[in-house]
Amino acid sequence: MTAASPASEPVLLEVRDLSVHFPITRGTVLRRTVGHVHAVDGLSLNLATAETVGLVGESGSGKTTLGRAIVGLIRPTSGEILFRGLPLSAKGATSDRAVRSQLQMVFQDPASSLDPRWPVGASIAEPLRLNHIGTRAGRDERVSDLLEVVGLSPAHARRYPHELSGGQRQRVGLARALALKPAVIVADEAVSALDASIRAQIINLLQRLQDELRLSYLFIAHDLAVVRHLSDRVAVMYLGQIVEQADAADLYNDPRHPYTVSLLSAAPVPDPAVEARRERIVLPGDPPNPASPPAGCRFHTRCWLRKRLGDPERCAAEEPAAQLISTSHAAACHFTDEVPASAGLSAAAPPAEPAS
Amino acid sequence: MNGVSFDLQAGGALGLVGESGSGKTVTSLAILGLLPRPAAKVAAGEVWLGDRDLLRLSDREMRRLRGKEISLVPQDPMNGLNPVLTVGEQVVETIQAHEDVRRREARRRAAELLGTVGIPRPGDQLDRYPHQFSGGMRQRVLIAIALALRPALLIADEPTTALDVTVQAQVLELLRELTVERGTAMLLISHDLGIMARMTRRIMVMYAGHLVESAPTAEIFARPSHPYTAGLLRSIPRLSDVGRPLTPIAGAPPELDRPPRGCPFAPRCAWALDVCWQEMPPLENAGAANVSAAPPSGGHLLACHNPVAADEVEAGRPLASGFRPAPPPEDELVAGDTA
Repeated sequence: MTAASPASEPVLLEVRDLSVHFPITRGTVLRRTVGHVHAVDGLSLNLATAETVGLVGESGSGKTTLGRAIVGLIRPTSGEILFRGLPLSAKGATSDRAVRSQLQMVFQDPASSLDPRWPVGASIAEPLRLNHIGTRAGRDERVSDLLEVVGLSPAHARRYPHELSGGQRQRVGLARALALKPAVIVADEAVSALDASIRAQIINLLQRLQDELRLSYLFIAHDLAVVRHLSDRVAVMYLGQIVEQADAADLYNDPRHPYTVSLLSAAPVPDPAVEARRERIVLPGDPPNPASPPAGCRFHTRCWLRKRLGDPERCAAEEPAAQLISTSHAAACHFTDEVPASAGLSAAAPPAEPAS
Repeated sequence: MNGVSFDLQAGGALGLVGESGSGKTVTSLAILGLLPRPAAKVAAGEVWLGDRDLLRLSDREMRRLRGKEISLVPQDPMNGLNPVLTVGEQVVETIQAHEDVRRREARRRAAELLGTVGIPRPGDQLDRYPHQFSGGMRQRVLIAIALALRPALLIADEPTTALDVTVQAQVLELLRELTVERGTAMLLISHDLGIMARMTRRIMVMYAGHLVESAPTAEIFARPSHPYTAGLLRSIPRLSDVGRPLTPIAGAPPELDRPPRGCPFAPRCAWALDVCWQEMPPLENAGAANVSAAPPSGGHLLACHNPVAADEVEAGRPLASGFRPAPPPEDELVAGDTA
């Protein structure tokens, strides 16, 4: 499902019908494949220059797998990833290093993505060294520059990861991602582990870097308020597929997929007055096993809207195609028109008689 | 943790907010008498449950009380359950440790409890192991164990951090129903201000081991008076106020192994006065007008030499003309390090 990017910026990264399936194996001696986890299943997504696309969904929805496939850490099963209009080779990061260096990733836990035995300067310089960029002295200078760009001082290069705070380590993680002057950064829960006052510093840093370097972000997070704050567009994933994508304001104010509605309604809002008057749609159960997703619409087993409509057979029988609500808003549901207009967050009142 | 005081009443949730390392979890462990010894000890103070001071009870008396009158819903459902025992055995064990009931009766009650916390087909689930449950279901099992003996006080320490937002909503709804229906008092510990807004009637804010502000939930959000509370509220994005730039609090929390002499927030505080560097302010009633009217646990309590004025909350900085935060005294160089 693809909804158009804003016309003003050309498409930089295009994901076309991407699938990533992981085999499930049984047996240690005679290993055989007994099934596949459909982590990402026929997914399409665009990212324009200097744009931020937020990616939300429950754990197991395939957000991280998509991010890793884009930066070449996971080989896709089928589909294409195009960067500046040219397909990335399916062989992964080693084959086209120059292009791959344009796509970088920042991880949730910088403590585990930095080598504890190296001073952080060496970690930041590593991508430069591996790509044979610059002399030793030149790389040291670049590391100093990068540290200043992310709000640290050149002296931090000699520190070890354990000597830094969580916020400082995340700044180092960003400096390393920026070393090869990327165009796209996949930020996978990059601010989730940080305390509120520190998280705001990193969020502001991400915005400043985007303005200065015209970076594009694929921002993966579960905090809907942070995603809203940073994103131009937002895509909602459920069991390996994008069920809705739209400009951030449209998605939050006028969601057209019942899963998006329930995600928004579940998110705690830091305002006691709002919390007191909202009613919540509490989804029953957990997301189904992605190894055997439900037939028809994957969400139908937990869908409050289907229940309210009297369990129409169509949801269980037929996989819904993306419905275009506007040029930049699409939702994959047979009954997008039945989602109450008041389902968004801007409306004070929640949809009437939410099913629980 | 230093000089923390609070009262908790039956039938409502009291929130405890603070950043990692601010002393939230230590407070709850102190109430339960579970601080690791000899590394940590409660140097002074009292914890009253009903008419008993918990800190004066013997280990044996305390053990009898834990679970029965106070129980804890821990943060991580992975580590809270024993992986080699079935879920049923773990609930039954809790019941039989405190009450003289037969195994059959304990199992019946265990099934009933699992049903109460919304686990489908509870009778069939008793013989399953923790790894056969999802994260949300494991957290429900832990809540069932915590409720097994109908405690008067439930301490929930970040009960939903490991869960997805939809499952988090289920667990919070369950905790709310249980506290409202059973009249259980709940101390809810979280760093998530959205959860606080949804669940609590009153909020306490901790910073570097000190209780710095405490007020009814609506008042904390509308009228924060401590510069840290005000800063925290300005540093989170709000869905109701999109596009408002975030104002982070500069710097990082102090290391607790060498606590600063005065107010621990002074190094990051735009409102700091000279006295802040010298002396920790006591926790006092903020609205001096209604001191006598407010019950000891009610009202708006604040530990600050130079509180944030009403019109300064939105501005996020002191508005008195020419005000500059007091610099650290010269004999004490406090590193204002970048986060």
